[in-house]
Amino acid sequence: MRPLHLLYHGCRLVLGAVFLYAGVVKGLDVTGFAGQVAAYRLLPYGGNYLVAATLPYIEIIAGVLLLSNRRVRPAALLCGLMTLVFIAALLSAWYRGLDISCGCFDPEADTSIGEALLRDVGLLILAHFSFHLRNRVLRERQAT
Amino acid sequence: MHDYSDLKRILLEVLLIVALGVVIGLSSNARLLYRVWTGQGAGPATPATTTTETAIPEPVMLDQARELIRTKQAVIIDARIRELYLDGHLPGAISLPLEEADTGIGELAAGTGPDRPLLVYCNGYGCPDSFDLAKRLLESGWKRVMVFEGGFPEWHDAGLPVVRGDKP
Repeated sequence: MRPLHLLYHGCRLVLGAVFLYAGVVKGLDVTGFAGQVAAYRLLPYGGNYLVAATLPYIEIIAGVLLLSNRRVRPAALLCGLMTLVFIAALLSAWYRGLDISCGCFDPEADTSIGEALLRDVGLLILAHFSFHLRNRVLRERQAT
Repeated sequence: MHDYSDLKRILLEVLLIVALGVVIGLSSNARLLYRVWTGQGAGPATPATTTTETAIPEPVMLDQARELIRTKQAVIIDARIRELYLDGHLPGAISLPLEEADTGIGELAAGTGPDRPLLVYCNGYGCPDSFDLAKRLLESGWKRVMVFEGGFPEWHDAGLPVVRGDKP
């Protein structure tokens, strides 16, 4: 397999697995996830629950599509867009000095936001390659 | 060099994925969302037929917390550490940090009967102290214990008055 294909499939599989895992974990504990969304203090009370109820399923669908190598471009684009929203939320929490890991005291809130930001940048890179390499890989496969 | 020829179709498919996720998410969480919408909080899935043995803390929202404070219908309890209480607390709230619950509950019992409703809060969503303290208060015999989930941050952000110092 050519390096380009390897890169494409690697990115798509890792991105899909991450989103599928994230969706399942959050989908199993909607109330807990709503609490985490609420900690960002960006949405009204009911809005937190709406996001918590729907976002995990969007992540699961996108993850499954990426893993099964179907509709990869829309799924990768969607993952990229969601990641951008997460980054914006993290940055705003950081800017407002919120302790989003707990809210009780103040244990290393900055590092946890920093780690999350770093992870999100990684996801953006995976989404970028999954989106842009898809058609090239398909074309090259048809040419051979 | 990047291929955007089918961007329109891709965007349409993105919307379809989102719509599908929303439909599945809303329908599989319909019961929870209904409870949230009708102001019952996200508490237990089964309607509360509360006996003292199975009693659980009752979640309340900002409006209800405000009303309880205004009408003085409940004893307001701040479960955060003492320093945060001194820094600012809800009007009328007394300080009962979770780590001092053993002595604090004793003192509270001396002046507050078991029929008096209690409202506990701490540092907002993600802060488990108010729930933990509320459970201990229920175990100690109070019949109705509520938790204001949004806690001090939601109260403060709503621009509502905050009391500083050690007076309630």
